[in-house]
Amino acid sequence: MKIKYLFIMACSLLFISSGCRKLVEVDGPSTSISSANAYKTNATAIGVLNSLYVNMLGSLTSPGQLNSLSCIAGLSADELSYERLAGSSILDSYYRNVLTNTTGGNSYWSGSYSKLFVVNSAIIGLTESKELTPAVKRQLLGEAHFMRAVYYFYLVNLYGEVPLVLSTDYTVNALIGKSSRDQVYQQIVSDLKNAQNLLNDSYLQADCITSYPSGLEERIRPTKYLATALLARTFLYLQDWPNAEEQATSLIANTNYFQLESIDNVFLKNNREAIWQIPSTSNTSNTPDADTFIIRFGGAPGPNNPVYLNEALTSDFQAGDKRKSNWMSSIVSKGITYFYANKYKVVSPPLGSEVKEYTVFMRLAEIYLIRAEARAQLGNLAGAVADLDKIKQRAGIPSVADTNPTIGKDELVAMILEEKKLELFTEWGHRWLDLKRGGKIDEVMRTVTPKKNNGGVWKSYQQFYPIPLVELQANPNLTPTPGYQF
Amino acid sequence: MGKIIRVMKLVIILLTTAIIQVSAASYAQKVTMKQHGIELVNVFQEIRKQTGYDFLYSDKIMEQAKPVDLNLQDVGIEEALEICFKDQPLSYSIENKIVTVRLKKPGFLSRIAAAFGSIDASGRVVDSENRPLPGASVKVKKTEKGVSTDKDGRFFLRGVEEGAVLVVSFIGYLPKEVSASANMGNVVLEQSLSKLDEVQVIAYGTTTQRLSTGNVTTIKADVIEKQPVNNPLLALQGRVPGLFIEQATGFAGTGVKVRIQGQNSYRAGNDPLYVIDGVPFNSQLLPGANPILGNSGVTARYSNTSGASNPLNFINPADIESIDILKDADATSIYGSRAANGAILITTKKGKAGDTRVNLNLQSGWAKVPRKLEIMNSQQYLEMRMEAFRNDGITEPGPGPYGDSDLNGTWDKSRNADWQEELIGGTAQYQDANASISGGTDKTAFLIGTGYHRETNVFPGDFADQKGSIRFSINNSSANNRFKLQFSGSYLFDNNKLPNVDMTNSAIKLAPVAPEIYLPDGSINWGTDEYGYSSFENPIAVLNDKFFNKTQNLMSNMILSYEILPGFELKSNFGYNSLGSSSNSKAYIESNYPEIRPYLVRSTTFGSNTSASWIVEPQLTYYRNVNRGRLELLFGGTIRQDKSIGSSIIGYGFSNDLVMDDLLSAPFSDPVSSIGYQSKYIAAFGRVNYNWLNKYIINLSLRRDGSSKFGPKSQFHNFASVGSAWIFSDEEFIKEQVKFLSFGKLRASYGTTGSDQIGDYRFMSLYQPQSTSLPYQGTPSYRPIGIPNPYLQWEETRKLSIGLDLGFFRDRILLNANYYRNTSSNQLSEYTLPITTGSIGITRNQAFKIRNSGWEVMLTTNNLKTNTFTWSSSINLTRPKTLLVDYPEIIKSSAASTAIIGQPLSVIKLYHFLGVDPATGKYQFEDKNGNPTFTPNAEEDKFIEIDAAPKFFGGIQNTISFKGFQLDVLFSFVNQKGQDFSYGYRTSSPGAFGGGSYNQPISVLNRWRQPGDISTIQKYTTGYDQLQSQSDVYNSDATWVDASYIRLKNASLSWILPEKIAHKIKINSCDIFIQGQNLWTITGFNGLDPETKSSLTLPPLRVIVIGMKISL
Repeated sequence: MKIKYLFIMACSLLFISSGCRKLVEVDGPSTSISSANAYKTNATAIGVLNSLYVNMLGSLTSPGQLNSLSCIAGLSADELSYERLAGSSILDSYYRNVLTNTTGGNSYWSGSYSKLFVVNSAIIGLTESKELTPAVKRQLLGEAHFMRAVYYFYLVNLYGEVPLVLSTDYTVNALIGKSSRDQVYQQIVSDLKNAQNLLNDSYLQADCITSYPSGLEERIRPTKYLATALLARTFLYLQDWPNAEEQATSLIANTNYFQLESIDNVFLKNNREAIWQIPSTSNTSNTPDADTFIIRFGGAPGPNNPVYLNEALTSDFQAGDKRKSNWMSSIVSKGITYFYANKYKVVSPPLGSEVKEYTVFMRLAEIYLIRAEARAQLGNLAGAVADLDKIKQRAGIPSVADTNPTIGKDELVAMILEEKKLELFTEWGHRWLDLKRGGKIDEVMRTVTPKKNNGGVWKSYQQFYPIPLVELQANPNLTPTPGYQF
Repeated sequence: MGKIIRVMKLVIILLTTAIIQVSAASYAQKVTMKQHGIELVNVFQEIRKQTGYDFLYSDKIMEQAKPVDLNLQDVGIEEALEICFKDQPLSYSIENKIVTVRLKKPGFLSRIAAAFGSIDASGRVVDSENRPLPGASVKVKKTEKGVSTDKDGRFFLRGVEEGAVLVVSFIGYLPKEVSASANMGNVVLEQSLSKLDEVQVIAYGTTTQRLSTGNVTTIKADVIEKQPVNNPLLALQGRVPGLFIEQATGFAGTGVKVRIQGQNSYRAGNDPLYVIDGVPFNSQLLPGANPILGNSGVTARYSNTSGASNPLNFINPADIESIDILKDADATSIYGSRAANGAILITTKKGKAGDTRVNLNLQSGWAKVPRKLEIMNSQQYLEMRMEAFRNDGITEPGPGPYGDSDLNGTWDKSRNADWQEELIGGTAQYQDANASISGGTDKTAFLIGTGYHRETNVFPGDFADQKGSIRFSINNSSANNRFKLQFSGSYLFDNNKLPNVDMTNSAIKLAPVAPEIYLPDGSINWGTDEYGYSSFENPIAVLNDKFFNKTQNLMSNMILSYEILPGFELKSNFGYNSLGSSSNSKAYIESNYPEIRPYLVRSTTFGSNTSASWIVEPQLTYYRNVNRGRLELLFGGTIRQDKSIGSSIIGYGFSNDLVMDDLLSAPFSDPVSSIGYQSKYIAAFGRVNYNWLNKYIINLSLRRDGSSKFGPKSQFHNFASVGSAWIFSDEEFIKEQVKFLSFGKLRASYGTTGSDQIGDYRFMSLYQPQSTSLPYQGTPSYRPIGIPNPYLQWEETRKLSIGLDLGFFRDRILLNANYYRNTSSNQLSEYTLPITTGSIGITRNQAFKIRNSGWEVMLTTNNLKTNTFTWSSSINLTRPKTLLVDYPEIIKSSAASTAIIGQPLSVIKLYHFLGVDPATGKYQFEDKNGNPTFTPNAEEDKFIEIDAAPKFFGGIQNTISFKGFQLDVLFSFVNQKGQDFSYGYRTSSPGAFGGGSYNQPISVLNRWRQPGDISTIQKYTTGYDQLQSQSDVYNSDATWVDASYIRLKNASLSWILPEKIAHKIKINSCDIFIQGQNLWTITGFNGLDPETKSSLTLPPLRVIVIGMKISL
């Protein structure tokens, strides 16, 4: 009798006799991989870099993704207008240049630094990895350095002085102070030069080893030429004209890969003008920009499409400019004509239909304008005019060589900047950044801001976005963006 | 302090005089006394009066003195004493005119004589059903001599005087006095009806309020079943001191926040440990439930278990026998790392021996939103809008579909809709049915039960929460009662259909001039304007979008025990729980403006989650009598594993509405999220309890815990506590001197508990896949998540508790008072980081300390008791305080701007509101220099501190029964501050308009109109210009007002069918009742409800049910 019950008890408890430690040891979650494993296989290491690219695209409702700069920096500058009735006070604050450290300004800051953590983790993980195919490791390291440069380029131009975070040690990064703009730029240049060394010079397929057959490239992985392009832009911003020209020239010379396309091809996928394109990750749209800018819901700017092109931009196009007829469209609502950007045209494609457009990150036209400006500054006016005219001719408007062959340097530089505004409108905040770089921001905004903000006054410090208050509170060594101290 | 010393002095003086009576006086030396049967003590007093001799004795000794007959005439004192002490068991000596009285030391002969006069008493202590009561105490009255009964209830008491009075007592039974004899047969004890003797379930055992050393409150089934609630936690509201419960919304299945003795953790979880029949139960659900249900008090920023709703919604309240709330270290320390926030033990109903019995309980009722918010009518609304236009200098209302539809001619301005009535004014139906069959023998008993519950919604449309459940329980014991088995299981299925949005928001916000929701032909009205565009977001359209959440809760547990030797038992508890849910959230195209439908696709989000856990807890218990006390030992271990898996997939592009329930019909689908957690937990624990004659009790417990939530460096931790109780009412001197005191116990406990309420894997560096419909270049993405912390350790809470339990007039008045002081350190919290680190926070142990202290008082009284009428009351009150006492790193941390050392944790820093500037009509605040400003600085000008935590809370309950009627009434009350609704919406200025919304409360009418106006509300505007001030006013002391309330939480009236009639119709009993919940609220709070403190979520509903309980 007794034995029977004891036997039941003993059997029930038998399996408890394994070791203690084992009973509290767990593998990682089934939904993740450990950091050690992430850099052990090519596919996962490639996946880490890909996570940056899929995050570069976003929408107005989730800014912080760099491409939404096309809209937000456009609102801050004189490219876009905001519909008051649409109801977003944050977008309205960008538009009226009345940001505070609690409204707006957070998106790019937190977006960029959270991605910089991924970049820095990747640089460390890739460098330490012994298992990856050497070619893959090289390419990915190059991509990581390039992406670090991208984030810092926008951070330094949007916020002025920013902390230079190069490690993943949170104890250091939590108390990091700002670095000067020179230091940040030095880092950008050094990262880009590293990237130039490491990156492959042809577009690679998903395995990061194989090149595409000639003419069938998917221009969606960074190449050496992409690093060159951003380096050219960086030197231009640093007013290092010789280097800017040199980098631009080395890219333009590669006519095998890069040629100016006709106006209506510039934003199609894999066109020859694109230096880097980012494909959509969504089934329901090709590019976020088409969703943001094309006014369709309700036939007027409203909550879903709250922005339209500013008159300061639309009125600058000459008659016959193909860019106005091709890259812009308009809608009439109750007697008012609203222009909107229509560079990307595919909206709500049928589910599952072929993707036609990729978001262009950098394209050859900008490189021509970079070289034109550098050459003009270096006194090579003829070379500058030749580059500028390439853009003008494609747009179908009279060339400088024809209309103003004796143009002076200053006038030419101004003209190049004006051309940039018309060529690159609503692309990655070019206008907002160029205004600041060219020193023309106060002059322009003094007249634009009052129009946008009911007679409000432009203050020079507003050219930089405020570092968000939560960040200042979390890091005692971080100082506010000058002007936003209160 | 001075006061305490004075009180203590007084106590010492009183005690001294009670024990030793000394006095001095001096007169003659001769004694004259003539009296029959006089008490010796009185003789001493008389002698002192006459002679001035003092007597020194203790009351204890004098108990043994026999009365004497005296006839003395002028005799000397020595002679007088000689006569008095003759035949007394006492001796005396005289020195310096002081007579010292002592117990006589028995001489050899008298000892032998005593031995011959004594007997060995033996017998058996049983209950009224003749079951033995092992461990009962048998004591010779007025001596320390006593024994405890053995496992068969037998006792053997050596050397007692024949006929001496024996006191037989046992926990839960009334003590009985019997006279000693050699063979006493069965001594039958009657069960005690005193509340003090009701069984309390504690960790790994049971006790009673009388003998408990811990702070435990017990709520029984009879209280739970009087309340029409769908979550048993809501039945505890206002009834348990130290327990604060707040429901998030009025929906069936709402989130419920539960705090025992305050908030111990700054940012990690603060939930108590729930244990159902010995098996731990989830305190939070996995993400996936409908977000409109509100959360259950989540403080962790990215805890992995923070879904809406509450897991206890998936337990049938009718299955519950009792709920025990364990608060202090003594009661909870044995749960180690899991019970820093207290524990709630739920015990389900079990089968009982007896004839097979069928119980039925049927209820049906109605629920409504209890009160309306006063918002503007059409006239006031239009006036506000026109005035806003005038203020802004705008003459023309905005045109177009996103324009000012209320004024631009699109809408009928003569309408005056009562949206609260139309959208949340409905009556919800409430149905509940429970049936059970139970019975068995004293060896095997069973219970089978089933329940059904259905609650509809106050919204228009077809929504309901339905639950069906079954449960069973079997007990068996072997013929010799040494092997015992208990097996029970339950399964509950819940189907909660809700809309995707809470309509209360629209009911409050929608303009009173907004169009009818339906067109005359019954279709949804979009207020289409002349250009064919919709002019308002029709709230009824979103009712198309449905959220179905189906949950299954399986709970099972088995207890096996075997008594190896008398008093020595091996026992093990096995449990398995699985809580799974699947949800289905549909977004129809028809919910949207007709003109944008071409751009939309149908989609359904399919979610599925399961969290399952198993537990094995082997235990050895041993008890024996040591000396005159009872020693109980417990040693055990725990092995537990939890697994949570889940996924969410969105399917889209459905061709029509009918196929949206099927993922296969979706031409496209994307994974949205996945969950895959596992945690392992192991522990060893022990407890020693020594009870000396039910008078002095000491309780030690110890636990060593290991958990996979922590890094390999600090996986294990020890916890311990000591508790003690002194039942001073059992001291003879109290019994004699303070007759009205029927019970008195002083308790104290101190110990450590811990908390591990953080997500899993926080010490690991992980990369997570990032899901996209189209992977970049066809390769999936991985990104690092968060910053790992390999140094994570346990959070520790040290709890000190002192309690006093008093019973007066045969326990007719019971008073429990508790003081607690819990200090939590090594805080596991989400430490806020700047994003430059890559993460907004890290889970870290932080050095700061949080101290929860407070008083809990509960007074239970039987006010009146006659044969036909009884009236009893119970009042409880809790005064909690949560202080941040120490925070060495504060300057370096993000908390610097919010937390203040020495202040309550819940303190909020605010601007000081200076009203509306009469000149400009804008809100003004005081800056740090005391000057008025329109734009206060968030960092510097917030100097007003307001504590948002409740100051005190409690409940008052009265029960009156008269013949067959019984009336129960519970008022609950909370004294707290909250943000009211007087200043309108935080995110839009009064006067603005968007998508048909932004009607305002009438308090907004007191606004600024022209220079010189003194008002509370700034000028109306249509734009965003004043949004910052609007937000600032919500960050100022203006909106923080008294949100205290007294609520008639529950009332229940029942009538029992007289027994005669019941027997005539061949049933055991029948009750007919009417019950109500949230019946009436008194509050000065300007908002929909002071409990949810929100005016945009559905408030707790007023529920009234009628029902019938039949036992066959």
